[in-house]
Amino acid sequence: MAERKDRRDFLVGIGIGAGVVALGGQGIAALRSLVPNVSYDAPTTVKLGPPAEFPDGMKFLPEQRLFVFREGNTFHAISAVCTHLGCTVRAEALPRVETKEVGGRPLKLTHRFLCPCHGSRYEGDGQNVAGPAPRPLAWYDLTLAADDGQLVVDMARPVAHDFRLTIV
Amino acid sequence: MATLPEPSVSSPAPAAAPGVHPRPLWSLRPASDREAGDAIVANFLLHWFPAKALRASLEWRYSLWLGTVSAALLLLLVVSGLPLLFLHVPSVERAYGSVKDIEYVVTFGSWIRSVHRLSAHLMVAAVFLHLVRVFLTGAYKNGVGRGQHREWNWILGVVMLLVTLFLSFTGYLLPWDQLAYWAVTVGTNIASAIPLVGEELRELMLGGRTIDQPTLIRFYVLHVIVLPGALFALLAYHMWRIRKDGGLACADRAVALPAPAEVPPAATKTYSLLGIARGTHPTIRATSVERPETTVSSVPDLTRRAAIVVLGTMAVVSILAVLVPSPLEEPANPLVTPNPAKAPWYFLWLQELVTDTTFRIGSFTVNGAFLGGVILPGALVTLMIAWPWLDRSPASAAGRWFPRSRRTQNLVFLLIVLLVLVLTYVGLFARGPYWNLYWPWEAWPQLPTRI
Repeated sequence: MAERKDRRDFLVGIGIGAGVVALGGQGIAALRSLVPNVSYDAPTTVKLGPPAEFPDGMKFLPEQRLFVFREGNTFHAISAVCTHLGCTVRAEALPRVETKEVGGRPLKLTHRFLCPCHGSRYEGDGQNVAGPAPRPLAWYDLTLAADDGQLVVDMARPVAHDFRLTIV
Repeated sequence: MATLPEPSVSSPAPAAAPGVHPRPLWSLRPASDREAGDAIVANFLLHWFPAKALRASLEWRYSLWLGTVSAALLLLLVVSGLPLLFLHVPSVERAYGSVKDIEYVVTFGSWIRSVHRLSAHLMVAAVFLHLVRVFLTGAYKNGVGRGQHREWNWILGVVMLLVTLFLSFTGYLLPWDQLAYWAVTVGTNIASAIPLVGEELRELMLGGRTIDQPTLIRFYVLHVIVLPGALFALLAYHMWRIRKDGGLACADRAVALPAPAEVPPAATKTYSLLGIARGTHPTIRATSVERPETTVSSVPDLTRRAAIVVLGTMAVVSILAVLVPSPLEEPANPLVTPNPAKAPWYFLWLQELVTDTTFRIGSFTVNGAFLGGVILPGALVTLMIAWPWLDRSPASAAGRWFPRSRRTQNLVFLLIVLLVLVLTYVGLFARGPYWNLYWPWEAWPQLPTRI
């Protein structure tokens, strides 16, 4: 009799196990299907236009959420994406231009950056000075396009704060 | 060929089969206890209630009927949500336009949208106040030795509050206006602040690395199917638990009263209990629940009050929806963050928390997004869920407003509630452009809305 009971228990166990596997499989498949395999991102390398079109000082490019700075024939680019929670910071012109040692080189600061979402503040070189922002704003690599000489930003490549693109 | 005899008018009605209720009719105004019981057993919706309800649990002043108000608001949300479901187009190109059409073109569209929006706002408030009431009265506590598990229902309630909040969050994204776009930006970036799994979690929520069509459709499906379905399942379980736990905690004392003396039944009548138990006397012994001074028939005493609460809630929302229009911000614009960018009022305390909790230890920085957006709210929810096991007050404190034995914990709880309310107030009234603090009498500086 005990043998028979074991067999029943075994079959019940098989049944329950099959149910768990069936439902679990459906669940895993359903969840996995929601994890995207392809992300149709916008390109991170973008042509921004001929360098001559950039004014001395700062130009904001909303599409790229990017500030491009020009000092004579020297360029650098700072991200407008707040490092706290990703809102777009706004630039506020300083009453007078300050000069700061940035990355071992002097840099003219014409603006400071303020975030409308949680009040983070950044200096003109992107250094976070107040509010919840945990890191400075990112600096991105600038190059000149080989074909038409346009300014090109690579937003997948953050660079150190001593980065300058000088056009000769 | 045998023919069945024609039923004659004078022949007695045949006996009902076991479990079949003999009379299909029931009355909302029963003339006897028997009719009152019939109403519960014969009606599909009323079957939700017990036949007899304890007088104490119907008290206006005890429960304030906040759970019923929440359920009534949920009903309104479903009723107003259905037409919106036909009219809203969950596409990033067309969602904004379709909501604008609902607002300005569709007959009654603006009113229906207002009913939906106001019910959602009021439901967050009602569910929260319901939770506050349950905590302050210790209604998650069990009576002595009665095998109750009210702490499970408390957990269900906490989960339902979270589902309600998530329903609100997914709901205000659907117009795909500026509020929606930047709420998704901030909300999903809070998720991505979680170490190790954050980025994957954000990608799963967005359906990609950027906020786009997959994001909208994800939040849409959550809002119209997944979360309402979950909420209804939880609500059914919540109500069932109340029945299994013997009603509201305030009624435990009425049950503890001594049972009335048993009167031996005369053996001349045949009794039947719901058509299941038959015999010459009731097979279930009466307890104090049956005492006329502690119990009433659910129909009409419970149904009358429930109807008053549900109809009152509907009336208030319907009238408010005429008076309060629903705002629609500018279309979603990934290029410009509004200044200031504010969450709806019930998330402002979280917006304040993520603002105020970034701190630095030497060169190490703890991001407020993680501390204020994940750790602190997570700790609060964990504490709430664990509280029935941490509460050491006696069982007699259950179901009473402000009992002496629970004074300290009630004060601490109210202090936390007050803190949340203060943070909400600061976010709502004291935060101006660039999230700067302004006193109510200070004017905000005039700033260009675009650079």
